[in-house]
Amino acid sequence: MAAHLSPPPDPQFVLRGTQSPVHALHFCRGAQAQGCPLLFSGSQDGLVHIWSLQTRRAVAALDGHGGQCVTWLQTLPQGHQLLSQGRDLKLCLWDLAEGRNTVVDSVRLESVGFCKSAILAGGQPRWTLAVPGKASDEVQILEMPSKTSVCTLKPEADAKPGMPMCLGLWQADSSPRPLLLAGYEDGSVALWDISERKMCSHVSCHEEPVMGLDFDPEKARGVSGSAGKALAVWSLDGRQALQVHGTHELTNAGVAEVAIRPDRRVLATAGWDHRVRVFHWRTMRPLAVLASHSAAVQCVAFAATGGLLAAGSKDQRISVWSLYPP
Amino acid sequence: MAVFDTPEEAFGVLRPVCVQLTKTQTVENVEHLQTQLQAVSDTALQELQQYILFPLRFTLKTPGPKRERLIQSVVECLTFVLSSTCVKEQELLQELFSELSACLYSPKSQKPAAVSEELKLAVIRGLSTLMHSAYGDIILTFYEPSILPRLGFAVSLLLALAEQEKSKQIKIAALKCLQVLLLQCDCQDHPRSLDELEQQQLGDLFASFLPGVSTALTRIITGDFKQGHSIVVSSLKIFYKTVSFIMADEQLKRISKVQAKPAVEHRVAELMVHREANWVKNTGDKLTILIKKIIECVSVHPHWKVRLELVGLVEELLLRCSQSLVESAGPLLKALVGLVNDESPEVQARCNKVLRHFADQQVVVGNKAFADILSESLHSLATSLPRLMNSEDDQGKFSTLSLLFGYLKLLGPKVNFVLNSVAHLQRLSKALIQVLELDVADIKIVEERRWNSDNLNASPKTATQPWNQMQRRYFRFFTDERIFLLLRQVCQLLGYYGNLYLLVDHFMELYHESVVYRKQAAMILNELVTGAAGLEVEDLHEKHIKTSPEELREIVTSILEEYTSQENWYLVTCMEAEEMGEELMMKESSLQAITSGAHTHQVTSFLAFSKPSPTICSMNSNIWQICIQLEGIGQFAYALGKDFRLLLMSALYPVLEKAGDQTLLISQVATSTMVDISHACGYGSLQHLINQNSDYLVNGISLNLRHLALHHHTPKVLEVMLRNSDASLLPLVADVVQDVLVTLDQFYDKRAASFVSVLHALLAALAQWFPDTGDLGQLQEQSLGEEGSHLHRRPVTLGNSTTAEDIEQFLLNYLKEKDVADGNVSDIDNEEEEQSVPPEVDENDIRPDVEPPLPVQIQIATDVMERCIHLLSDKNLQIRLKILDVLDLCVVVLQSHKNQLLPLAHRAWPSLVHRLTQDTPLAVLRAFKVLRTLGGKCGDFLRSRFCKDVLPKLAGSLVTQAPISARAGPVYSHTLAFKLQLAVLQGLGPLCETLDLGEGDLNKVADACLIYLSAKQPVKLQEAARSVFLHLMKVDPDSTWLLLNELHCPVQFTPPHPSLRPVRLRSAPEQQNPYLANVRLLLRELQ
Repeated sequence: MAAHLSPPPDPQFVLRGTQSPVHALHFCRGAQAQGCPLLFSGSQDGLVHIWSLQTRRAVAALDGHGGQCVTWLQTLPQGHQLLSQGRDLKLCLWDLAEGRNTVVDSVRLESVGFCKSAILAGGQPRWTLAVPGKASDEVQILEMPSKTSVCTLKPEADAKPGMPMCLGLWQADSSPRPLLLAGYEDGSVALWDISERKMCSHVSCHEEPVMGLDFDPEKARGVSGSAGKALAVWSLDGRQALQVHGTHELTNAGVAEVAIRPDRRVLATAGWDHRVRVFHWRTMRPLAVLASHSAAVQCVAFAATGGLLAAGSKDQRISVWSLYPP
Repeated sequence: MAVFDTPEEAFGVLRPVCVQLTKTQTVENVEHLQTQLQAVSDTALQELQQYILFPLRFTLKTPGPKRERLIQSVVECLTFVLSSTCVKEQELLQELFSELSACLYSPKSQKPAAVSEELKLAVIRGLSTLMHSAYGDIILTFYEPSILPRLGFAVSLLLALAEQEKSKQIKIAALKCLQVLLLQCDCQDHPRSLDELEQQQLGDLFASFLPGVSTALTRIITGDFKQGHSIVVSSLKIFYKTVSFIMADEQLKRISKVQAKPAVEHRVAELMVHREANWVKNTGDKLTILIKKIIECVSVHPHWKVRLELVGLVEELLLRCSQSLVESAGPLLKALVGLVNDESPEVQARCNKVLRHFADQQVVVGNKAFADILSESLHSLATSLPRLMNSEDDQGKFSTLSLLFGYLKLLGPKVNFVLNSVAHLQRLSKALIQVLELDVADIKIVEERRWNSDNLNASPKTATQPWNQMQRRYFRFFTDERIFLLLRQVCQLLGYYGNLYLLVDHFMELYHESVVYRKQAAMILNELVTGAAGLEVEDLHEKHIKTSPEELREIVTSILEEYTSQENWYLVTCMEAEEMGEELMMKESSLQAITSGAHTHQVTSFLAFSKPSPTICSMNSNIWQICIQLEGIGQFAYALGKDFRLLLMSALYPVLEKAGDQTLLISQVATSTMVDISHACGYGSLQHLINQNSDYLVNGISLNLRHLALHHHTPKVLEVMLRNSDASLLPLVADVVQDVLVTLDQFYDKRAASFVSVLHALLAALAQWFPDTGDLGQLQEQSLGEEGSHLHRRPVTLGNSTTAEDIEQFLLNYLKEKDVADGNVSDIDNEEEEQSVPPEVDENDIRPDVEPPLPVQIQIATDVMERCIHLLSDKNLQIRLKILDVLDLCVVVLQSHKNQLLPLAHRAWPSLVHRLTQDTPLAVLRAFKVLRTLGGKCGDFLRSRFCKDVLPKLAGSLVTQAPISARAGPVYSHTLAFKLQLAVLQGLGPLCETLDLGEGDLNKVADACLIYLSAKQPVKLQEAARSVFLHLMKVDPDSTWLLLNELHCPVQFTPPHPSLRPVRLRSAPEQQNPYLANVRLLLRELQ
């Protein structure tokens, strides 16, 4: 590296102690995060660790997936509730209020696939959950917490996009209709209208399976990463049609997850090349390459405020970075 | 024993005596009367009081010259009567008073009459007794204005006596009497307290005496120290009691503007004083002068009781006369404050009590005038402080600082009025900084190195306060340790009462401003924080709101950040070449960082310290800087208590870094800082502290390893961590060791040295944490070895009672063994060189196809040994030596995992041989040690390699060195060659045994060592050579026996069986045989 370049940035700190590759990360959102910020991590051995970012130590480890890899974590906005999805075909709802750490409910999953779930939750007690469905190419929509099935979204027979790989639920401010974005095994991204149960748009973005996507409803623009070398940026026009905006070539192939920071200024990718790459979200200009892991990075997550970024890797470490604080 | 209870009886007895006395006034008669009086009861005496008094008074009043002796006895008798009776009439009281006073009247002068001391004493006692004998309210009627002249006479008389007499007894008595006269007696005989009106009347009356009394007493008080403390104490007491009575605010505020016409004659009325405002003002001014004089003199009085009384004076006057004596308040407070740190604990305690009392009563804070006076005093003290600190001697500095301390203590939270003035804060801080300047000329501090890397826990320290074990430091401007203590207390008080943000900002600025201020500013900052926590401060102002723990933590965090920042933590403290190289690199990188826009003043100071050759002084200064900052961290921990745990993630790493520093002082201070931290945070021991926070440390280590050029001390932290922890640390260590090894692989050429010591620490820790507890493989090996030696040892039992059968059996055994040795037996492993499959360690081998995962420590040791192989041939001798040590430890750790050890040993062998045969003697020594360990752990594997590659060279060098050592003088034992010989001789024996060498090789060893059995060799070498043979005996006793006997044969052998021929050995004649002694010793062992 040339001498005039500033030294590569360092993580603010590294969390050790999962003793197993890290597959999912999620910063605690909501009011309880103000006083003592928390980070959740899910690891391959089925444990969910709760980390205090103040002491930088694990405060608890939740064991609810029978030793099977935890692939997805999400908190509900209304309370101290955490969702965890595991390879044991279970989606657990944890009650974390007042240090309880107990499973209060669980949803049986039908598919063993790689697909991570998604939720759409506002302030109301009812919320929507999207999970991979029974058939390999299906996505199932559930109404929670009653667990009633709303619908099953199955591509038309001739489309054959393969398995869904990643999901994103959102609802535009203007309309009450929830929408689902799904990245498929064949490298395509599809937009589903849940109330009409139909695929609004379908666009092919990658050569390889889509591994992760994130969507910015404000700019109506999304990004997806795949097993290949490209990052695709696509947008949604007024008629709810997806259009590929452009692709961004990466040095090394394989993106496990993409995440747009809540303030929609930067984007981070979890690379199989052990690196986290940070881009300017509007211009897609590369900003930084964060190299501190010694194995593939499997997940990235942004804190709701304060600009903290966490990356979890196969090397069993979680690096926490403070970059371009807002 | 009163014989005469009734007045009648008594009268009968006393009458003749009284009549006699009235007639002839002689001493004898008076004495006679007094003896008679002793037998009369008090009640009877009371009845007859007037009657008895008559002849006595008559005697006194009789005109004409009288003998002093007579007067004295009369006065004494009078005193006796009065002491047992009461005076119930005002007139009698006044008359007796006049008559007694007159006894000392000298018409010629103002002075008391020149009479004998006994008489004076008798009169004084008489007066005192008289005043005490006044019955009830009579005493009050006595003090009517008309008595003023007579009373005045008595008062001046007593003052003159107290001032001028030589006898201490008289002085004391006079002062006591004066006290009684002024109604300030502190004895129990005055039960009734005066009401307001009475007080006021008395005050009016006594006011006339105030000038005389106060000036005279002041003269006594300020007199020679040698007059004795009790006189000064009494005088002080009378002074303040009188003044506080006459000048009491309570009385004065009721005084009317216009003087009431007293109903007395004009002459007396002139003497009367009206205490109106003007008088009060004037008197107050005059008293202030006296009070100042008194304070000046008494506050340095050598006797503590006097100073104690001064505290009483201050208390009384400030409490009762705060308005009338407002001018004196300043000096009075100053006196009080100055005594807060008195050397006498009694004075200190009293002072503190008074201060607390004041605070409770809001005397100072509630009283604006007082607060202003104090602020004003502090202002002026702050102004003159730098000058005073410059010019005064230790004692002067001490009292000035005591004063400062007292002001701060008394002002409490109001101290901020002064601190808020920039000019005054600057003055104050300048003075503190100036006086705290350290003397940094001590070279020893720079020189002392931490050589031994012993465990930090070895230093037993159980202090609960950080400063109890503080390193002695030397200041430029004072030597008295008390001054330092006082300065710290001052700073703590400032931190406690002052606006902490303001103060910390201010001193932080000074810290940045110049290297010259930095150490002092850091010391002050440390104390400010300690003080702010309020743990040591005795608070006089209970309502004062302390800095909240959150705020304090915030402040501490910012100071910590500053202390441990790159430019303040990594200072040049030694001149070693290696360190310099590192420093240079650091400088370059820092310079880069600086060009990207850091503060300019930091740049200059940094540059000033990174000159190519730092002076001893600047290094010493840097060492102190670091130590003070380390101590500060300890104090911060103390101040925050358990709250400090949250700061450990940033604080612990730098402290550990310094605990591994080469400079002895730094490493010591860092260790005690760690002790402080573990106390404060509630960890039982250092080990506990490190174990519980190893995640923070590991985080720091692994992050800093990424920038080794900047953080070249990182390996040290790991080293210290390893040395002070236990096996529970292993998972985290394993994690970071990977980082270390990866970094080492990148920096083989530049920073190998610092890594090698980490590796050493790591392996030493592993060897200690996982001691090889009789592993299966080793057990087998051992039993095998024992069996073997047992087999060999059997022939030793061959004795004289041998039968033919025994011999036959022996021969059969011999043949069988020979067969075995030739490899003709199938059930014993063919232990040849090419055999690469070592005995299997299969204790937990459940699934034969899958290898069980290696224990973490084995994995680490394997990885490290891998690196050792590369580093064995490093250019730097120090590194080679250290690596040999690491290699040694690797072998120890891996001993039970032959699958890992043997391939690595195989790869390390060529390089090790090179060290053994080609390197400098130092390296050979270490390499030989490794060889011994290796031989002990994998003997079979080494045997033929050893015999082929090493043994010939070792034997050769032993043989060539032998004549040299045989001829050498006593100095030889200090040479490296000697040590090498010794090591080889000491090591060869065990090696031969563990490697189970064959006969030919054993012979080589024996031949090489034989010459060292000569008495000409140094004793130690002979011993070592003997040990070789002792081992050889175990391996092959027969040939050893033969060999030894060939050198010298002490006994004649008779064949065990007549059919055998007698043995004849070729041994040298006894006389000149140099081997005689050693061979005899060895042969004795063999039998």
